[in-house]
Amino acid sequence: MPTFFAFHNLTYHIKPQNRFISASGSIQAGKALALRGPSGSGKSTTLRMLARLTSPASGEIIFKDQSWHTIPSTIWRTKIHYLAQMPVMFEGSVLDNLRLPFQLAHNKKELRFHLEDAETLLTATGLAVTILEQDARSLSGGEAARVALIRSILVNPTLLLLDEPTAYLDATAKQKVQALLISWLQQPLERAIIIVSHADDDIEAFPDVQTLEM
Amino acid sequence: MDYGMLPISNAQLTLSLVLILIAGLVSAFLKLGLLKSLVWGTIRAFAQLMLIGYTLAYIFEINRLSVIIPIILLMCLIATIEASKRIDAPGQKLTLLTFSALSASTFLVGIIVVTVIIGPEPWYSARVMIPIFGMILGNSMNAVSLALDRMYSEVRSHAAEVEELLCFGALPWEAIKIPARKAIKAGMTPILNSLMVVGLVSLPGMMTGQILAGADPREAVRYQFVVMVMIAAAVAIGCLIVVGLAYRKMFTPDDLALTEDMRHSH
Repeated sequence: MPTFFAFHNLTYHIKPQNRFISASGSIQAGKALALRGPSGSGKSTTLRMLARLTSPASGEIIFKDQSWHTIPSTIWRTKIHYLAQMPVMFEGSVLDNLRLPFQLAHNKKELRFHLEDAETLLTATGLAVTILEQDARSLSGGEAARVALIRSILVNPTLLLLDEPTAYLDATAKQKVQALLISWLQQPLERAIIIVSHADDDIEAFPDVQTLEM
Repeated sequence: MDYGMLPISNAQLTLSLVLILIAGLVSAFLKLGLLKSLVWGTIRAFAQLMLIGYTLAYIFEINRLSVIIPIILLMCLIATIEASKRIDAPGQKLTLLTFSALSASTFLVGIIVVTVIIGPEPWYSARVMIPIFGMILGNSMNAVSLALDRMYSEVRSHAAEVEELLCFGALPWEAIKIPARKAIKAGMTPILNSLMVVGLVSLPGMMTGQILAGADPREAVRYQFVVMVMIAAAVAIGCLIVVGLAYRKMFTPDDLALTEDMRHSH
């Protein structure tokens, strides 16, 4: 069977504590994988290594049967896309923020921004469409978290690496985001999610979710 | 009108020490504990200036390119060391790129000014080259260290934004564009400010010097204008080069991700 996404002995050396984090796992298309473990067990670091934001000391990642070394990191990160826990909003309106990724050299050729998609996603996550005109830096934590998630979904990644995606959300917004992620997974395109969350319901929301204890 | 330089005799030079006494008295009176530094500073300033005075006289006498170029390179090196000291970027080796930026901008603009605008005979006249290059270098040094320092602090404090852009497939230069702009702006602000107020708030040292040396103020301002635009040009080039060279060091060579140093604020 071809490998959709797998990582083997991905090891990170925490120099100040002289401690090692190591993780191995794999995921099939259409599935979700949850990384679980106590704080400091290296869940976020593992996500960052998978996104190639943090360099592992050793290990291997395979994406669609290709070794990570054969794929340039800038392209890798658009496919294996990491969404940080703390939402990042740039200067400008929410619309400016959603458009920003489409202005990057690599994406200009491959992707087009569709306003309707953005509006559909806003509504799906419980945000009013009028928020598009709002100053992105004036959003509440919960609003910014959803806008950041929408921005990530709009660039159409293959694998979403989510670090505590519902940490800033109230119960209603949380349910909407969970439902959105599940429907995103079920699209006919090959997609997968790796999630780090302290909230059990985030993880259990995904049908036949696998877990990796760290 | 008589424009003549009024020389300072040895007796007059000694008399100027009275002024240091005033500063010394203030220090003693307020118990600032600066007396030692004041004495040492005075001795050093006197010795350094005498030394450079005689050295310059000697170099002007020889007036050979093979002597002038090494001297200017030495000035670039000293400026590099001074600039590097002011940049808060632990663990970064910035000497080579600072030196490259300073010498490239200084030589480029300096040669243009000396050959095209001033045009002394011979073109490499030490009397023109050394002060002109020195002025450019002094300003570039400040600008380059301001720009680099700003660049590092901006990237460190906005590491999350840089990484967010990387996650969307940004190339390093795209991810760093906002901090780089701010850095270049920070480096250029002092010279832009002086262009605005020169002659109104301050009379620049060079112009003051020329006037005291007996030059016609109308001639002195022409020189001053040339000097200021050449400084602006050199500062812009220097900042551009230094930022262009420095940003690569902020990313890991294989993955083009932010280095650990840049992700953790010190």
